[in-house]
Amino acid sequence: MAIDRKKIIEEMSKVKVLGNKEGLIPAFGVYVQQLPADFWNGFSRRIVNSVPEDLIEAAETLLVNAALECGYHTGYGIITSDEWNQIVSPMIENSPEDILHGAFAVFTAWGWAKSEVIEIQPNEKMVVRAYDYYESDVMAYGKVGRPSAYMIQGVSSAFMDLAYGGEYDVTGESGIYTFKCQQTKGIELGDDYGEFVVTRR
Amino acid sequence: MAIEKQTEFEIDHKFDPVRDRHYLNGVCSVLHCHHYATLFTQLAADAVDFQGVKHLVETAEDTFYEVLNAYFKEKNVVDLAQKIEIARQYWSAVGMGLIRFTGIGKYEVTAEMEYSHLDEGWLKKWGGSDKPVNFFSVGFVAAVAALANDKPPRSFQAKETKGLVCGDEKSEFKAVLS
Repeated sequence: MAIDRKKIIEEMSKVKVLGNKEGLIPAFGVYVQQLPADFWNGFSRRIVNSVPEDLIEAAETLLVNAALECGYHTGYGIITSDEWNQIVSPMIENSPEDILHGAFAVFTAWGWAKSEVIEIQPNEKMVVRAYDYYESDVMAYGKVGRPSAYMIQGVSSAFMDLAYGGEYDVTGESGIYTFKCQQTKGIELGDDYGEFVVTRR
Repeated sequence: MAIEKQTEFEIDHKFDPVRDRHYLNGVCSVLHCHHYATLFTQLAADAVDFQGVKHLVETAEDTFYEVLNAYFKEKNVVDLAQKIEIARQYWSAVGMGLIRFTGIGKYEVTAEMEYSHLDEGWLKKWGGSDKPVNFFSVGFVAAVAALANDKPPRSFQAKETKGLVCGDEKSEFKAVLS
């Protein structure tokens, strides 16, 4: 594998965005914003904590799906962007596996999670580890009862959709939701890192 | 000759290479797209039985109250006009759109948006809506209303009275003293 994670993180972490004269940030084929991590964590926890026990999983699935669609569309925008073509594309030898390694380096560089792919079975399975991520900030001391890295779960599935789910479909009618992710470890659960296992649905 | 001092929101953007996190003025911040924002919004709107919209609005109010209040304290901003201008520039800088506060009073605060991340994103993803959907900005307006009047969060109840997603020319917001 020729992916140089250190270089990608060093270069891509320098990408800075600010609103244009309309106060919007059109980038990577989508509109982006840069809000405090606490905002995203705050709503996720409030909604999960407000539903009865039997609906927690359904609420969590919706939070994961929000990230999955984000990861699918924005992820495609990233891997077709000028920044990607300049920095990451020259490192790719084995596609799509190297693209996955590169994508998680970018994921890291942009502050979503300090994460890397530790195992890939092409077309079948991927295991990701995250050593620091904002979604684990939901507990300052002790641990939560259930995994809560919904964003990493969704984006990990989406990246596998992009790699092995067929042609990118801007309408989201195909190509997406071909993989699912299970979070098997979490910093918020008391583990040293978060672990995410992505398999076919 | 008098010299008018321009109010400018200052952004100190730092990347922590150990934790791989980005900080805007010391606040851990993340880039997300309109798909994520609109799906959170849809989730809040659908969770009627669990006060989803209230949770989203209050999360926004709490978060942005804290961010702006910390900035005002650090920069010693006490002037009302400066507070409003900084809030306006902050919302634009982080990509949430162009907000203009049209009225600031002890009992009510009004604002409008000609461009909005939530509305542009919603229109791009789903087309229009028969109801306004910009709950992020509703919370933001409530936070600014409270800060402008030196009051704590929940001092004002805000709502969006017109929305770009509804076909209105501008989104309009009104916060009234609780």
